[in-house]
Amino acid sequence: MITISHLAKKFAVDNPKKLSEQEQQDPRLNGKFFHSVQDVSLTCEKGEVVGLLGPNGAGKTTTLRMLSTALKPDSGDIQIDGNSVVTKPLLARKAIGFLSGATGLYGRLTGRENIEYFGQLHGMSKRAIDTKIDELADVLELHTFLDRKCDNFSTGMKQKTAIARAVIHDPSLVVLDEPTTGLDIMAAQTVLNFINGLKEKRIPVIFSTHHLGEVAELCDKVTVINNGRTVFNDSLANFKALAPDSLHQAFLTTLSGK
Amino acid sequence: MWKVFLKELKEVVRDKKTMFFMILLPLLLFPVIIGGVAYFSSKAAEDAQNEVLRYTLINARAAPELADTIQQAKGFEQVELADGVEIRQWVKEDNVDFVLEFPQGFVTDPLQSGEHRLQLYYNGAGFNAIKSRLEKLIDPIATSAQRNAFASINISEEQQKVLITPISLEEINVADSRENIGEVIGGMVAYVVFILCLQGGMIPAADLGAGEKERGTLETLLISPIDRNKIVFGKFLTIAVAGVTTALITVLSMAIWGVIAGQGLAIEAISSFLDAIDVLDLILVFLMLIPVVAIFSALLLSLSIYAKTFKEAQGYMGPLVIFVIVPVILAAMPGIELEGVWAWVPLTNVALAMKELIKGTMDYYQLIGIFVSTAIIAGLLLGFCVHWFNKEKVLFR
Repeated sequence: MITISHLAKKFAVDNPKKLSEQEQQDPRLNGKFFHSVQDVSLTCEKGEVVGLLGPNGAGKTTTLRMLSTALKPDSGDIQIDGNSVVTKPLLARKAIGFLSGATGLYGRLTGRENIEYFGQLHGMSKRAIDTKIDELADVLELHTFLDRKCDNFSTGMKQKTAIARAVIHDPSLVVLDEPTTGLDIMAAQTVLNFINGLKEKRIPVIFSTHHLGEVAELCDKVTVINNGRTVFNDSLANFKALAPDSLHQAFLTTLSGK
Repeated sequence: MWKVFLKELKEVVRDKKTMFFMILLPLLLFPVIIGGVAYFSSKAAEDAQNEVLRYTLINARAAPELADTIQQAKGFEQVELADGVEIRQWVKEDNVDFVLEFPQGFVTDPLQSGEHRLQLYYNGAGFNAIKSRLEKLIDPIATSAQRNAFASINISEEQQKVLITPISLEEINVADSRENIGEVIGGMVAYVVFILCLQGGMIPAADLGAGEKERGTLETLLISPIDRNKIVFGKFLTIAVAGVTTALITVLSMAIWGVIAGQGLAIEAISSFLDAIDVLDLILVFLMLIPVVAIFSALLLSLSIYAKTFKEAQGYMGPLVIFVIVPVILAAMPGIELEGVWAWVPLTNVALAMKELIKGTMDYYQLIGIFVSTAIIAGLLLGFCVHWFNKEKVLFR
């Protein structure tokens, strides 16, 4: 179980005058600091898929980066199965599989070498890595291009390889930051199938997205973040209930704070 | 750490661009460039020797013997001066290659006339061998005139020599050939090796830091359960290895091509010089290189991880070359020795120490001090690099 409670993160701004007009009007800008995330809380039980929604710049990526230990929160806490990510980042790193739409691969290495490298970084044995790659290659249909250099991969191939890389160490939690953004329909579908697969295995997934269709299809719970604060955090059914006809309307309702 | 190192190395080796700069360029292109320069400059000198020179003699009747010699000589072609043209104008307009003017009352016997000045007009813009070719013709006549003059006043050949140079300085250089050549080559070695180490590390460094940011692989790497220090050390080592490899390959290539090109006399000088250098000194030269390469690698990696893109990283690294060149050029300048202040200037002291080692005049105790101080700087820079790898502001700019 994952619990994120009252998370906050601010970034120093070198010169506030240089920011765009829109950024200057953001209520989160306070003096020399931009309070990107102010108060975000959410929970994710075993086997649940949580959809993280919010406008651009709402603080979704920052939240997920704190969850994945890339950033250190200023206050608040994140607990995975009772262990604090903030005080024991290594535990979280071992437990989490992370993937974003912008995640790249090492172009001069083959798909297999890319996956192997991260397996090694996770301290896996050669045999364990080989077995796992075979298994993943079957599931994700990687066999035809696994031993070619990633530079020549199509977007779909890259995304499949990136998925395999993210779960090579059998993570107990998968974090996806806009995993379908910028992908074509086929590649996006690969990601969605993969999330479904995780759901069947009862591995919790937290993912951020702009596609409400994906939310309706996959999520058990929905969390909406606006201006760095959680404005909605409940089940999908309750989210839909906000506006029975349209998910978009429901989303807008949460933003308006009614 | 080794996992990171091996993977980075694999990537570097597979990068054609890096490999080109690291191996192919020094191995093939440098010899071609150096050989090309040598070929064309020697060809230009040869052409100047063989070219037919057009000339005009003024007042040739005054010195029939000299005029005759020039007229008889091969590779000279006489042109008459056009009426009413000034000599300078005549040469400038490229009617002739030179004009030789004999003074009035020219007599070959020096006892009768004193010194004669022949005036040689030529266009000195551009490479030519006019003076040396003319002297070859005039000198025998002058010498024989001199000898005749001496003979006419009954001075023996012994006395002649003394009269011509009454006092002479005989130079006795106590420096052995190693010290002499070492002074020249030693300064060059540090210069070439330093720059190459930096240059060789640059492209891999840009790729290892900023490149990862640009491709979006850095975040995944940072959240994998491996110590940040290990990531930094792995990358740092890769850059160092790339730098040293580039430098070694280039120096080797220059040595091999130098031996091939410098057959005969040159080979003797080179081989006797190489014989004179102890293996120990050579090993020490490479040992001194280690902290220097460490400094470069740490600097390059720090700049690279700060930059947002590959391009930005290269932009930061360019000026670094100047910061390295200045202290090394200082060391290569004559008169700057490894003493006093210079022994404490970073990089300059290492370059000077390398020179001393090659010359064979190194004070080994001083070497320890230089090595340690350079190593400390390298350690501090590496520490800074690790610090930057832990800063969110640097990683997620």
